[in-house]
Amino acid sequence: MIWTIGGGKGGSGKSFITANLGICLSRLGIRVILIDADLGGANLHTVLGISPPSLSLSDFIKKRVPHLQDVLIPTQTPNLELLTGAQDLLNAADAKSVQKQKLVRSIQSLNSDTALVDLGAGNALSILDFFLMSDGGILVVTPEPTSIENAYRFLKSAFYRKLKQAVSSSSVKTLISDAMDRKNDMGIQNPHDLMRAVRKLDEGDAQKIVDEVETFHPNLILNQVRSKKDIEMGFSIRSACLKYFGVHVHYLGYVVYDQDVSHSIRRRRPLVLENPRSRAAQCVMEIASKLANSHKIAGELET
Amino acid sequence: MKGIKDQTYYEILEVSRTATSKEIQRAYEHAKETFHADSLAVYSLFSEKEVKELQEAIEEAYRTLADEGLRRSYDQSCFQTAGEGPTNEPSRTREISGEKKSPLSFTGLSFHAEVELYRGKALKQIRERMGVELQTISREMKITIKTLEWIEGETFEKLPPLVYLKGFLRSYAQSLGLNSQQVIDEYIRFMEESKKK
Repeated sequence: MIWTIGGGKGGSGKSFITANLGICLSRLGIRVILIDADLGGANLHTVLGISPPSLSLSDFIKKRVPHLQDVLIPTQTPNLELLTGAQDLLNAADAKSVQKQKLVRSIQSLNSDTALVDLGAGNALSILDFFLMSDGGILVVTPEPTSIENAYRFLKSAFYRKLKQAVSSSSVKTLISDAMDRKNDMGIQNPHDLMRAVRKLDEGDAQKIVDEVETFHPNLILNQVRSKKDIEMGFSIRSACLKYFGVHVHYLGYVVYDQDVSHSIRRRRPLVLENPRSRAAQCVMEIASKLANSHKIAGELET
Repeated sequence: MKGIKDQTYYEILEVSRTATSKEIQRAYEHAKETFHADSLAVYSLFSEKEVKELQEAIEEAYRTLADEGLRRSYDQSCFQTAGEGPTNEPSRTREISGEKKSPLSFTGLSFHAEVELYRGKALKQIRERMGVELQTISREMKITIKTLEWIEGETFEKLPPLVYLKGFLRSYAQSLGLNSQQVIDEYIRFMEESKKK
């Protein structure tokens, strides 16, 4: 399974959560690969306490090493490896869909059970595509207007991109592109208005959109929560997304604000190893147990 | 994918058609909090006009569903003409039961069992009474069915370590709108007492 961790804003804790979730999962016996695809500043290795790696995905792409397996960096945790440099591929101007799919296939072919991809900040098309291609996209949000605004922007972009990829008619594709701009001439203000407009144009594409919306289940983690009200905001975000997009967001859990987090980052020691009894570490473990279970469920479905 | 004007009052409040008055009250409070003009959850997503429309729809839905008489008339005009009843539509009811949990989670006010202790059998009884399938909890909360069966069946020897069990119990409780802390405390106390015996 491939999980992608994104959500728009920098500093919301994506790398911290990716690294610590990876460690928790590997301790549950799941073979994990952490993939750093942060366009803005790849530093998953720092959170893990590893020196800047000498090998990266580029070495495999440029055929300096024969197998993708060869560029995986071992970590101090058994069952946990790191792959860096995925951002180079996502950032490349010529990173076409075929190449991204090739990367997904390469990751799937690795000897692991789960890959956690840190997408970093922003909503570049490559990031959105990777988010949509993965088995589960996770948004990491802090309970602040800036973070929520960026997360909604990310979600809107991913949502419309998903719809655009699903429909066949070029006029509907154009309509979706135009709808993304709220100041459009057609008066389309939200996905429901868009749906009405699509129905008039092409009933087949309208049904495709309904099907896509039903299968789109982004996950949400609220980070740095300080109160019960903050925790409940996750449920409010879920209700807001249901009303706005018609999409069911899974609220995976929350991580409390905890000074131990910044201490662990400064020491370059992952929190769940440095201070597993801390409140934030306990929160991450709970989320990991949910991911581990969905992994088992997926395994049961496959067999 | 329906606009607010096309949603039933139950959909607007995100409750099942068999919701109790307490559940409707909780859902209303959650909706009011979520779609408040200053709420962070609507920030940058909805326009002012859309928020106002949502607020009006929520008030209207609550006014009707909170009043037994009005709710009965609404149900008759909305569902009975189409030959639907809450019991005639099991799959839909299950689905909505899964959805309704969210506004109630972390509050623990929605459902109080008439049992003295949240042990596995009592939890199963509550779940069945609410018409929620194990599969729904499994899918929504990402917990395997086996684990849920072990929790309900009090198969303590197969349950995961305490830190994970607490997480599963919390999710389970949230999915039924129960007080999660109370469920965790009572279940673990019962488990430890049973182990001693």
